[in-house]
Amino acid sequence: MTTDLNQFLELDKTKFEQRGIQLEIGVPVTCAVSIGNNIAAGFGDGTVRIFSSREKHKTLKAHKGVILCMSRDGNNILTGGDDGFFLKISLNGEINEITNFGSRWVDHVAAYNGNLVCSSGKVVYYWDKNKKEPKSLNHDSTIGGLAFDAKGRRLAVSRYGGVTIWKKDYSNKWKSTKLDWKGSHNKVSFSPDGKYLVTSMQENVLRCWRLKDKLDFAMSGYGSKVKSFAFISDTSYLATSGAIYAICWPFDGEGPMGRKPICLPYIGNKQVTFIEPFPDEKAIFAGLSDGSVFLSQIENENNTIIIRSFTGSEVSAIAMTDDKSSIFIGDMNGNTLWTSIWDQ
Amino acid sequence: MEETNRQVPVTVLTGFLGAGKTTLLNRILTEQHGKKYAVIVNEFGEQGIDNDLVVDADEEVFEMNNGCICCTVRGDLIRILSGLMKRADKLDAIIVETTGLADPAPVAQTFFVDQDVANKTKLDAIVTVADAVHLSSQIEDHHEAEEQIAFGDVILLNKIDLVKDENIEVVTKRIRKINPFAKIIKTTKCGTPLKEILNLDAFSLKRILEVEPDFLESDHDHEHDDDVTSLSFVSDTPLDMEKFQNWFGKLLQTKGQDIMRTKGILNFKDENDRYVFQGVHMLMDASPMGKWPENKKRSSRLVFIGRNLDTMNLKEGFEACKSE
Repeated sequence: MTTDLNQFLELDKTKFEQRGIQLEIGVPVTCAVSIGNNIAAGFGDGTVRIFSSREKHKTLKAHKGVILCMSRDGNNILTGGDDGFFLKISLNGEINEITNFGSRWVDHVAAYNGNLVCSSGKVVYYWDKNKKEPKSLNHDSTIGGLAFDAKGRRLAVSRYGGVTIWKKDYSNKWKSTKLDWKGSHNKVSFSPDGKYLVTSMQENVLRCWRLKDKLDFAMSGYGSKVKSFAFISDTSYLATSGAIYAICWPFDGEGPMGRKPICLPYIGNKQVTFIEPFPDEKAIFAGLSDGSVFLSQIENENNTIIIRSFTGSEVSAIAMTDDKSSIFIGDMNGNTLWTSIWDQ
Repeated sequence: MEETNRQVPVTVLTGFLGAGKTTLLNRILTEQHGKKYAVIVNEFGEQGIDNDLVVDADEEVFEMNNGCICCTVRGDLIRILSGLMKRADKLDAIIVETTGLADPAPVAQTFFVDQDVANKTKLDAIVTVADAVHLSSQIEDHHEAEEQIAFGDVILLNKIDLVKDENIEVVTKRIRKINPFAKIIKTTKCGTPLKEILNLDAFSLKRILEVEPDFLESDHDHEHDDDVTSLSFVSDTPLDMEKFQNWFGKLLQTKGQDIMRTKGILNFKDENDRYVFQGVHMLMDASPMGKWPENKKRSSRLVFIGRNLDTMNLKEGFEACKSE
């Protein structure tokens, strides 16, 4: 009887689940990034797990509490935690403390070409790669997100009331410009071509600025908060979570104003909670509130395949290796899948 | 199948400067109870608190862009609560301490407005610590002290060892005038069993039915125009649902800034279920809560706490909702 049931369950698994490694870690997966052909994932108990294509995964005890944020810095990862630590961790498991804010959380981290950034409360700390001491960039309210532009020249800091863009002038002094819009701004991102800046807000809406003339507009109609979004295939589309569809706004030509987004539907009508681009393709991985993950081509909705079937827990991380061979998926209950994408 | 995690109860601890919030917090954290509590404190806290699970917060209040002027929420709480929900170990409760001069409304409203917060946590109760020695003068001089009393589900009347019995009576009366349905606990050094202040479920609609507050017609004499007072209404005549919704909706929309808290149990004509609601300013939670018990009289009861209540024609409005 048991064997029959197992067979039945096995049939329900996708081919990616059948050939990949599935773990039930039991603590929320909070973030994941690629480092070359490896994936580093952060967890709610402060551990970092590194998944490599050949080896078994490696577990590192990095933080004392939740890993709140993670970013790639060359062959290292940067992590920030609710234990107040800002850490740099190498692929072979070496952990270096960059700083420690005590009972203040490290909410966001980012890196560009060896320059490191983190935010704690209302302050952004910027470590120039040639300097030991960080430069503090102060803001009037708590920081909701950090992002470099594609060339690492501008740093966008989202906060209450809008976004501050920091840039060094020719005499190497920090200068800031502000983009104002009432409300609480969370995740922030430049478009890869540097022409747009997008934030997701506390309300179920995205705010976008066209940087050449500061023209701003909203992308709205969402049923819930937009927690995840990503620009696709250079700046062709902005794919977003927050609805039962993956909503993809066209950003080519004159941008999304007056144009309709493409809405990609998924089986089961569950909320999309996580978006990860398929590098260089007009395609996305969409993670849903029930744990399922789909890969779809934006301009051909019939070309959708299921990567992971449902687990019952919201997808909270997806990352693909640089060689586009393997993918990591994690959810809020700590179920993970690490699998190759291509048939062997 | 969605995630069916238990919602972690959140207790809001408020009270004017020097009333004894820190004493109560330390009591909660040091008592041997085998429970795991996280405490969110603000950086202007009066004394240090020593615990692993203390999170520093800045009280950042912002307005929601939803066209509702009094709909302010605590942005820092949204961030911290969602961070705490990613922890490996599950918390038994979360306690949010507000500064002595804070208005409790934005904290409460955060639980109505943010979907993620509402999915994973629930507002358990607002506990107000009041200084028996100074409360009367604080209420006169600081509208915040009055608001904290108005919002409380439980009021810890602290430092009673320093006050004569007849003065305790006076202070208790003053509290009752502002807030007739809060539970008042008289303490010295905040000494009270934790079960009296934690896990009360005061914001659940079911709980409103279990602990029907005293819906007495409160006497209502005029002192200052901006005094916080309460008014309550009872009616055995069934209400007309449409009329009530129109009146009450418009009332909250136009007077929601002055109306701080509302609670009620409603008896609608041709409806078998009891309707229960509770609200903070313009935001409201309402639901049918099962049939009226066989042995109980069907009657509607309604309480308002707020400012300028006598200018809102509440009695006339309520009377006009009757179905006959």
